Amino acid sequence: MATEKKKVSRRKFLVRGGLGTLGVLAVGTYLFRSPIRRKIAGLVNTADTPYMGNTKTPIIWFEITKNNTIVLHSPKVEMGQGTFTGLAQMVAEELEVAMERIQVVHAQSASGNMDGFATGGSTSISALWVPLRELAATMRKMLENEAIKKMDAGDVQPVVSNGSITIGERSMTYAEIAEGVQEWDVPDTPPLKTGKTFRYIGKPIPRVDLKDKVFGAPLFGMDAVLPDMLFGSVVRASTIGATFSGADTSKAEQMPGVVKIVTEPDFVGVVATSQQEAENAKNAITVNWKVDTTVQTADIEAMIAVGKGTPFVIQKEGAVEDLISDAETTIVSEYKSPIGAHAQLEPNGALAHVKADKATIIMSTQVVKITRDEIAERLDLDAENVNIVPTFLGGGFGRRLHTPNGIQAAVLSKAVGKPVKCFFSRKEEFQNDTFRPPTHHVLKAKLNSNGSIEAFEHNVSSGDVAFGSPMVPGIAEPILGADLGAWRGGMIQYGNIPNHQAISWRVKLPFATSWWRSLGLLANTFAIESFMDELSVKANKDPVQFRLDHIQTDERGERLKKVITAAAEKAQWTNETQNGRAMGFAASTDANTPCAQVVEVSIVDGEIKVHKVTCAMDPGLVVNPDQVRAQCEGAIIMGMSASLFERMYVEDGELQPTIYGPYQMALMKHAPKEIDIILLEGADTPGAVGEPPLGPIGAAIANAVYRLTGKRLQEMPLQLG
Amino acid sequence: MKKFFPPLFLLCALALGIVVVFSNTVSSTYVPKPDANLTVTDNEPFDKMMQVLTHERCVNCHPNDGIPKQGADGHPHHFGIAGGPNNTGFEATNCATCHQSENNPYSGVPGAPEWSLAPASMQWEGLSRTEIATSMMDPERNGGRSPEETMHHLTEHELVLWAWKPGVDADGNPRTPPHVPKEEYIAAVKAWFHQGHIIPSE
Amino acid sequence: MTISLHVNGILKTVDVPDENTPLLWVVRDLLELKGTKFGCGKAACGACTLHVDGEAVRSCSYPVKFARDKQITTIEGLGSPENPHPVQQAWIEEVVPQCGYCQPGFMMATAALLKKIPRPTDTDIDNNIVNVCRCATYYRMRKAIHRAAEIQQESTEKPIT
Repeated sequence: MATEKKKVSRRKFLVRGGLGTLGVLAVGTYLFRSPIRRKIAGLVNTADTPYMGNTKTPIIWFEITKNNTIVLHSPKVEMGQGTFTGLAQMVAEELEVAMERIQVVHAQSASGNMDGFATGGSTSISALWVPLRELAATMRKMLENEAIKKMDAGDVQPVVSNGSITIGERSMTYAEIAEGVQEWDVPDTPPLKTGKTFRYIGKPIPRVDLKDKVFGAPLFGMDAVLPDMLFGSVVRASTIGATFSGADTSKAEQMPGVVKIVTEPDFVGVVATSQQEAENAKNAITVNWKVDTTVQTADIEAMIAVGKGTPFVIQKEGAVEDLISDAETTIVSEYKSPIGAHAQLEPNGALAHVKADKATIIMSTQVVKITRDEIAERLDLDAENVNIVPTFLGGGFGRRLHTPNGIQAAVLSKAVGKPVKCFFSRKEEFQNDTFRPPTHHVLKAKLNSNGSIEAFEHNVSSGDVAFGSPMVPGIAEPILGADLGAWRGGMIQYGNIPNHQAISWRVKLPFATSWWRSLGLLANTFAIESFMDELSVKANKDPVQFRLDHIQTDERGERLKKVITAAAEKAQWTNETQNGRAMGFAASTDANTPCAQVVEVSIVDGEIKVHKVTCAMDPGLVVNPDQVRAQCEGAIIMGMSASLFERMYVEDGELQPTIYGPYQMALMKHAPKEIDIILLEGADTPGAVGEPPLGPIGAAIANAVYRLTGKRLQEMPLQLG
Repeated sequence: MKKFFPPLFLLCALALGIVVVFSNTVSSTYVPKPDANLTVTDNEPFDKMMQVLTHERCVNCHPNDGIPKQGADGHPHHFGIAGGPNNTGFEATNCATCHQSENNPYSGVPGAPEWSLAPASMQWEGLSRTEIATSMMDPERNGGRSPEETMHHLTEHELVLWAWKPGVDADGNPRTPPHVPKEEYIAAVKAWFHQGHIIPSE
Repeated sequence: MTISLHVNGILKTVDVPDENTPLLWVVRDLLELKGTKFGCGKAACGACTLHVDGEAVRSCSYPVKFARDKQITTIEGLGSPENPHPVQQAWIEEVVPQCGYCQPGFMMATAALLKKIPRPTDTDIDNNIVNVCRCATYYRMRKAIHRAAEIQQESTEKPIT
């Protein structure tokens, strides 16, 4: 099913030679299926989102430089997840070049190589798995054909090796072959390599951006520089629901270094000659904010409650209601999760240079096309005349799926006719985030006389995740029914429960909530897997075996069983507390990737201490095991951070806190000293990696704490109280 | 107001007399003998002084657990910072990693010369006013300071007087100084010492 | 106002309108050394950590006036691909960075730690390395810090030839 969806219906390859100063430029047009069908397909439960490429204009995929380096213009951005490295491995494989010869850069929007979806949803490698390798293989074949022509080889077969083609006695590099070629023959795509013959795919190759990142290269949006650049700063609302209604800028105008104060219908900003001067002048502006109602945390808590808002049944099997209507026999439990901040280290910002008829915006974004279109609309320019130059992201985590910061920088630049760099302060980051919405969960179940679950219901009340996002148009809401982001991880993965259903309750909150790495997975798994633990205790069964007993025997079920068994065996799972340490177990399935985790926890000085995490995950084919491990390690600790420490709250209409520290996060001392990762490859294509391992950690910790203390922690962040 | 016991008073006066002789060479402002106007009910200088010394600007850096406190609520310093072996933080990440010799108007990080935690012997956190005063006057616990030296510390040391120019916090909001104005506090401290630094029982 | 300071061993003179300008902006915007990062501007995250006379300092909270005539070391001066600092070497061996934004600050903090404590214990690391990494690369960082200590020791134990 998944493979079929990605199948390419038609493709065309155009290559022009001699473009650009670097040497030879290969320009490919790769035609995909209807974008509308893909969009819907991408929104299904598997979140198996295909690459949504440009289908009209020629787009640049590869350059071959004169020194025979292959430059891949990636439509996916690198935000730490290691995608550039995985893509480079895929190209190396089919193009037959060593990794050292491959350079990966972000495709600028003007190159045409834009992904209409985004970089997100743990889809980058899986979406490009077929198209990118086909492109590389086709290009290799074109080079072979051209080599045969150039070397006049007749029937002698070319031998391809590390960026060179040898025919008989003669050998030419790709660069030499491509030199001067005006018209290329475009062959049929040759068969792709398979597992047994992989030389690069599946190997723990170091990240391609490793040295740049270790030696401090200027990679990020905030590091961008243009000649004559000025510095901008925009006043952003600190109060929920505040709308801009003018400002007193008289004091700011007199501040040193101020070049211009820019007052727009929806915001006011300042342009100055240095960063600090821009910041100082901004702080001297008094904005008239219009606020209708002052929101408090209690207001939000009252809104997020199962039973309020709009319900939508996202999963239904059997007749659940009848079985859980009897209060005597129904087990009921509630769970909660708080508002979460992205807190990525690089603030949102952009360096914009807007001229009369065109604009260049250098910035960190996960949605190149949306960013471009929004800026073009605001500047009243044709989208083709707005070039987005994506940079490495100083953290993404979903935060950069919303990019009004690009618009603001562009407006300021237009006002002064010079390049302007403008980014958020940290306080603005915390108060103007697109937060992970708070959730409330009500779970109900009935056990039969054998201690098996007869009926299981999960209700989740959540603020919006996908809805309201520029990525999901409003017209899609009625089609989708429920917010696929909010219920991610909210379905019941135990198919052997004869009667089960999941219901998503939509709540529109007064502040922006949206995509946060793994979306609803963290909170939904916390609720469901804590409840499963409760039920196993009630049934007097081992929690690991209890889960295995409720998993169906189809392919999905078998993969889930395997990760559960693998994690339990490797961790030497025990239900007994030993030397003050207890284990906790949880498992989740996210975007077809099952993941199981065993944690070892103790209470040290009244605090929950996680000593060890064993994580077994099956993301299908693994392109780079070292980077998949890195994603697991990071996701586990980030999930721990959210589960144990993080919480935004509302006070007198303001989201608080506004700084690291008060927004408590996991630090070095909190990270487990042992993380044991087991990777299973239960499919021959790559699946989701970056988000699935965030799922189980919160529940696993809470379940371990229950074994230590007898107390069931039902609210994140988990506190012993 | 509690009763005042003359024998203790006399004893104190006697003790102070000795100190004064010793200290006269150092300072001319310190008058050792008890103020003639002192009455048993005149605790105003003490009250004023203690209003300041029990304020979070002071107590936050006189913790009882080696961990500096922050803010009006006296929460533990974020990021697990502690006084460490020399009261200046850990080996490589220490007070001076973030705190300089003056307040930073942009970051909101407070600063003053010798920014550090009070030594473990000078724990005030959780103590009553009289316990703080007793601790403060005890050479075993106050770093071997004579009363005169203590008075100078309390009225002249830049780190102490920082309390009245505590700068802004991370959000740019001014930190709250002690409610007693600085000059009034200095006068009160001097008066208390001049009057024999008598610690009322509570 | 003109201020002279030594940056990565080279004497630099900068002209700043305000002597309280954070050293971070001087390094980044006037000296064009972008390895030192802005994360919060409040000395809370440690992304801006560099060395002033060998001590770790959070440069967003360090007025440039205090840097006058001092030795400033940034990530660009810590080591080079040809001659990496033990911390950088260890970071490469353990493949620590993910997004990479906070990593220079962590490496500078670690380099300062190894100067004070050549073989830090886990507790030393927990106490001294309190920067923030949102990708949460802490697990590999701890391994890399111990590895850096080994590399540093190996390099000092090498006989001089």
